[in-house]
Amino acid sequence: MISSIVLITGLLLILIGLWGLLTHRNILRIIIGFSLMGTGTHIVTVAIGYVRNGTAPIIDRALDLSEAASRAVDPIPSALVVTAIVIGMAVTAVMLAFAIRLYDSKKTLSIDAFTESKW
Amino acid sequence: MMELIGSILVLLGAIFHFSAGLGMLRMPDAYTRMQAGTKASTLGNTLVLAGLAIYHPGWSLKLLIIIYFVLMTNPISSHALARAAYGIRIPMAGDTGIDALRDSRQKTGGGT
Amino acid sequence: MIRRLYVIVAIVSFGFVFASLAIDYTEQQSLRPLAESYVRLVPQALGAPNVITGILLTYRGFDTLGEVAVLFMVAASVGLVLGAGRSPRSVSSDDRPEEARGSSEIVRTGAEILVPLISIFAAYIIMNGHLSAGGGFQGGAVIASGVLLMLLAYPQYQPSLEFLSITESAAGALFVLAGIAGLILAGGFLDNRILPLGQFGAFFSAGAIPLLSVLLGVKVGCELSVILEKFRP
Repeated sequence: MISSIVLITGLLLILIGLWGLLTHRNILRIIIGFSLMGTGTHIVTVAIGYVRNGTAPIIDRALDLSEAASRAVDPIPSALVVTAIVIGMAVTAVMLAFAIRLYDSKKTLSIDAFTESKW
Repeated sequence: MMELIGSILVLLGAIFHFSAGLGMLRMPDAYTRMQAGTKASTLGNTLVLAGLAIYHPGWSLKLLIIIYFVLMTNPISSHALARAAYGIRIPMAGDTGIDALRDSRQKTGGGT
Repeated sequence: MIRRLYVIVAIVSFGFVFASLAIDYTEQQSLRPLAESYVRLVPQALGAPNVITGILLTYRGFDTLGEVAVLFMVAASVGLVLGAGRSPRSVSSDDRPEEARGSSEIVRTGAEILVPLISIFAAYIIMNGHLSAGGGFQGGAVIASGVLLMLLAYPQYQPSLEFLSITESAAGALFVLAGIAGLILAGGFLDNRILPLGQFGAFFSAGAIPLLSVLLGVKVGCELSVILEKFRP
């Protein structure tokens, strides 16, 4: 039940990010759409690793060593998402650098001004 | 009983967060949008964390430190954003009457 | 008009695919065999209470090395795109009258209080990677946010880029050397048994995982600081 709510939230975020990506004409809003899609994907990846009545896979007071294998949540999607968040931030930095150079060349932030590569 | 109070506080915090989002959509220009976003969402954060501290009394010290940190950083960051927006001359809404920053800068002759 | 129609068709079809995914989803009852073996093996063979950090730095350590290489490539590409050869901001001079004004007093006072707190918190997250939630990547991102606050509050602050690049390259080289030492002294590449395992749950335990966390945190922090520094006018 809990992970269904989280999964639907993540899928909705991906849809909203995709809509924003395709509709807006301002470059910065398109970059925000990319970032929203990334966040939605991270949430979906963590949500599908949930085990019923499970808890975090860290051995401390809440989770004993002997019952770790039966009550822990899947650790592999969490490990993948940890690096994915930092990489997503770095890729957003590259996109913003490109946006700065595009603005320097044409003095406008609308992507309708950059039509040279369309046929 | 404590769980009921905690849950009501978390619900109030969620309502404030929703009104912050609604304000950011409906306000006319950049400065009023920043004000709506910061004030309502900081209060929403504080209420949600306070409700959580009442629900789990063992976590209350750590949550108090987090509330202090949020209260320190949210207003400072929105202040820096608003000053930067004023600096690059983003236009204010049509029926703005008073520009307090310009008046105070003229009075002190160029200081901050 | 046609463009709007295409967008709506795309969103609705994606919506149908996602709805079919969400409807057929049932929660897992128990762990899959690979995840169960990881949860059993990491506290037993590696001596680390945090299973996720044990996976990231030992069992999937080669993937972490690949992520570090990707971050290095991103820093290099930001330096290339924003580096030398930028036109000297040929906008009219009254478009930017504020650059001589400096930052306001509120931001400076806030930075005086917050930057030590942020640095201590980053060190705490990095060093506790093997005991509780945390690790190298997260601590590195927090270090970069502290550097960003310094950049905002003191516009004359110039972190020396040579120091940051030398530190970052040295941390990366030491990471690979620790991996090769794992090949020579213990079971395989990036094995953490080159240092003694220690007592379970103590601060200096789990072999080489704290050392690898510190190297990873320093490298990620320096890299993100270099990226932020390039964005200044």
